[in-house]
Amino acid sequence: MSDSTFDADGITLEQVREYVWEIPQEGDMRTPARVLASEALLEEIKEDKTLQQLKNTTHLPGITKHAICMPDGHQGYGFPVGGVGALDAENGCISPGAVGYDINCGVRMMKTNLTYDDLKGRETELVDSLFANVPSGLGGGGIVESGVDTVDEILARGVDWALENSYAVEDDLRHCEDEGTREEADPSKISQKAKDRGKNQIGSLGSGNHFLEVQRVTDVFHDEVGSAYGLEKDQIVVLIHCGSRGLGHQTCNDYLRKIEKQHQGLLNTLPDKELAAAPAGSQLAEDYYGAMNAAINFAWVNRQLIMHRTREVFERVFDQSWEDMEMDLLYDVAHNIAKKEVHDVDGEKRELYVHRKGATRAFPAGHPEVPKAYRDVGQPVIIPGSMGTGSYVLRGGENSMELTFGSTAHGAGRLMSRTQAKSEYWGGDVQDELEEQDQIYVKAQSGATVAEEAPGVYKDVDEVVRISDELGIGDKVARTFPVCNIKG
Amino acid sequence: MTPHQGQRFELREHTADIAVEAAGNTLEDVFAAVAEGLAAASCDETPDASGDRFSLSVTAESREALLFDYLDDLIYLRDVRVELPVDHRVETISHSDDADETACWTLEASARGVPLAEIDAREVKAVTYSEMRLERVDDEWEAYVVFDV
Repeated sequence: MSDSTFDADGITLEQVREYVWEIPQEGDMRTPARVLASEALLEEIKEDKTLQQLKNTTHLPGITKHAICMPDGHQGYGFPVGGVGALDAENGCISPGAVGYDINCGVRMMKTNLTYDDLKGRETELVDSLFANVPSGLGGGGIVESGVDTVDEILARGVDWALENSYAVEDDLRHCEDEGTREEADPSKISQKAKDRGKNQIGSLGSGNHFLEVQRVTDVFHDEVGSAYGLEKDQIVVLIHCGSRGLGHQTCNDYLRKIEKQHQGLLNTLPDKELAAAPAGSQLAEDYYGAMNAAINFAWVNRQLIMHRTREVFERVFDQSWEDMEMDLLYDVAHNIAKKEVHDVDGEKRELYVHRKGATRAFPAGHPEVPKAYRDVGQPVIIPGSMGTGSYVLRGGENSMELTFGSTAHGAGRLMSRTQAKSEYWGGDVQDELEEQDQIYVKAQSGATVAEEAPGVYKDVDEVVRISDELGIGDKVARTFPVCNIKG
Repeated sequence: MTPHQGQRFELREHTADIAVEAAGNTLEDVFAAVAEGLAAASCDETPDASGDRFSLSVTAESREALLFDYLDDLIYLRDVRVELPVDHRVETISHSDDADETACWTLEASARGVPLAEIDAREVKAVTYSEMRLERVDDEWEAYVVFDV
């Protein structure tokens, strides 16, 4: 252990090595906690309750090695956003609160063979058409209006349902984690209330930080991996960020309440009720795992439908078929998820529920769970920045299995509260500035959302990615810059 | 969306989400004040007369669980009715000592549902238990609730 320490207003972090900080185990903590950050990022992380929430996470039974905060970490509810916690799947627990409300909130990137020059001059037409055709905001409906029977099919089959109904092609499945279907999904474990919320929202962005963004590739840092991913400078790509909508939110709350009623003893040992967990092996743990996997399928279909609609919009705007524009899925990554995974812990293979809350799986080259298309180079990791800064494509780094249970950051990470953002920014001004200074065309249902998501409310995504790259948990492959952005 | 006499709320800072701090003369008042805070977090301005009133009733095993389930129900009803519930009235909160312990707190409330198509509303995803506080301080009730946005 190095002598260097960082004092975060009462919580002392000891430096393990460059960019790795540890909060030593004390009191009822079952393990130490770790933060992966530069000192500049730590200065921001210490400003809210992130570190206390990270310490609280180490109280969960079965927590293995340490609870970890990624470089983009910030305060959430219960578990910090940017948190990774691996809980023993035999003797530990699974925590709906630590997965979060928006189960399988995530990001997918679709490529095109268009260049920025092909798009220039048509930004307004494109952003207007996307905004008119991709449902967003509250009460905007979905791409598919359906009954509960369809919801059940989607929950059970994921993107396979989309394939059968002509919303996907085989190639989309080959470029999605688990081929877009969690086989352990059990739709019967999702409540009627959750299904009722979901049936009007299949294929919709929602609001808050969710968006659809057309981007141009500005840099390719790694030629070999860039080529394997099919990314080139000046290429147009589309990034879609959303999750499981009301169905996922309701499922999380349904299970928090069930745990409160059935596992009060465990709950009473935890410092924050929002960490509510079901003991591994209990009926409720099995039920939640089946429900969560079903909600994961729902979120994948949600993003698939939005991608399908985006292909149709591009066909109309550019008067070419989407196949001719090579609008192929690069990859789809989940940000809020708990997955049973086998990891090497002190030389022993152990099955763990790896909770990633605002964190991305980042498996390296050679890992058997990386889709065949990317197994030689490592899985793509997509890190969205704010609507005024770049986003990144990384690849799973070779140190990720040892340092982070195969995980890295998920975005820039918020810096400023929504209430403060609204007092500092005006949506209309933010939109005008982005268009005039950076040629970024933004269209939103609500001006307040634009203010709440202004570029200044986020951390420096470049610094977050630099730390991921330096630690070798997610290596920089390419950078993109926004062209058109629609949001709720 | 001005709270009724005896109720008040403030939206509080939270890095990613939003918190409502509320107070009221009675338990009914503080529940309604938190619900008004939820509406305010969803929409800056709502029309005064639009939409019809609807009733809801909630049962739960404790006071805090009742507050959680009430707010959870309002968010559920927003999605399925496609209306933002505003002008909240909590008519009664009753507690039965000898009832089944799993559901001994009951609430009867109503709200006006403003069609989402008529307003510029943002999505509050869910109520959370994180840092939740509901307590009697001197002569009034206070509550603090974090919502996931």
